[in-house]
Amino acid sequence: MLNANSPLASGPSYSFATPPNQTSTNIKQHSFNPYTDNGGSTLGITGDDFAILAGDTRSTSGYNINTRYAPKVFKIGEDDGTGESAHIVLSVVGFAADGNALKERLNAIVKMYRYQHGKPMSVKACAQRLSTILYGKRFFPYYVHAILGGLDEEGKGALYSYDPVGSYEREQCRAAGAAASLIMPFLDNQVNFKNQYIPGSGEGHALEARKATPLPRAEVEQLVRDAFTSAVERHIEVGDGLQMLVVTKNGIEEIYDPLKKD
Amino acid sequence: MSSPFSINGGACVAMVGKDCVAIACDLRLGLQSLTVSNNFPKIFPYGDVYLGLTGLATDVTTVADLFRYKVNMYRLREERQISPQTMANLVSTSLYEKRFGPYFVSPVIAGINHTTGKPFICGFDSIGCIDFAKDFIVSGTASDQLFGTCEGLWEPDMEPEDLFETISQALLNAVDRDALSGWGAYVYVIEKDKVTKRLLKGRQD
Repeated sequence: MLNANSPLASGPSYSFATPPNQTSTNIKQHSFNPYTDNGGSTLGITGDDFAILAGDTRSTSGYNINTRYAPKVFKIGEDDGTGESAHIVLSVVGFAADGNALKERLNAIVKMYRYQHGKPMSVKACAQRLSTILYGKRFFPYYVHAILGGLDEEGKGALYSYDPVGSYEREQCRAAGAAASLIMPFLDNQVNFKNQYIPGSGEGHALEARKATPLPRAEVEQLVRDAFTSAVERHIEVGDGLQMLVVTKNGIEEIYDPLKKD
Repeated sequence: MSSPFSINGGACVAMVGKDCVAIACDLRLGLQSLTVSNNFPKIFPYGDVYLGLTGLATDVTTVADLFRYKVNMYRLREERQISPQTMANLVSTSLYEKRFGPYFVSPVIAGINHTTGKPFICGFDSIGCIDFAKDFIVSGTASDQLFGTCEGLWEPDMEPEDLFETISQALLNAVDRDALSGWGAYVYVIEKDKVTKRLLKGRQD
């Protein structure tokens, strides 16, 4: 549980340093808070033979915008910049500095794995390793919600989502960050078909629920765009640009779409 | 979680369609994480106007009864039903009277104006500031989730059947991601000369 007085619990914090607090007894209380919330949102969806990880590119601090282009989704384990040698993607949202540090560490580990073993790291192994990295900082965590994407050993889309201390789970879809509460119920409905039933299939408990089937890539891409344009309308920390990384057996494709900048 | 607005939990949403409006609420009543009742509707009819109230349950009941009294008095004096627009101003001024000791409620109004025939929805904060929205209004502990689902599912000029499906899906999927809302729902679809009230089961957990 967070300290109720910490900036993390009491809303947006504007900088690392807080001005000294004057108490009635004339004692100055100094404090330093090592975390900032940089806002933004990320989202991952898998299909039969692909995985999409997306994130907006706005970075905020309180009501200020630091930049309109700060990527939150990264290729992991590439060494030529073409994306052909990489087959894993990572998205991090929360405290951007921790996110970047985490990306750098995982990137180095995945590369070292290939150099030492002469084969690329599987997504399953990478997912377990990321959990270990996060738990390694259990008592001074990376303040991020991470999502890892790629293709599993069978070539099927794989997606793993994490809490800041390394608890993780493989899922079909996951939204994280500032607008996660807005996007996630929409995804439940449109990806996993929650609360949808087959008309005329029965009465009461006999009524048959619509089964979730993997969606085609074009449909998933459009769902991601819809989710983000919706989030942009209602959340001030989300906007500017939408970056998508699509993992297929042919490598990683990057797509950038502009979002509203207001 | 000690905010009066989120002790009992609950959600409400209103939407505009083509010559129709819809308003829906969940049925949960709780004390923090403990569910006390699964039959606590939050929508109250006042003639042609429907008022949705989320927030502190004791205030929901008090405010609902207060407006029953006020709207009855209006009808007796004016010898006509209250219009949604007049109801909106009545709610606004009544809430502002309690500016420095407010009712902890977030009201939502839906109805069709019988003089103009036009659909009308609006929402308020707890001290009566009116939000005249053209598309949808959300309120309650699942308001973030409702903003997401409504923004994603709503489209202009829906027929009553489509509007029912849209508002139901928006509410059901939103409350399933909120621990303080859910346990079934009521959905009202209001047309010019017909009102349909439906009970939705939803997830019971």
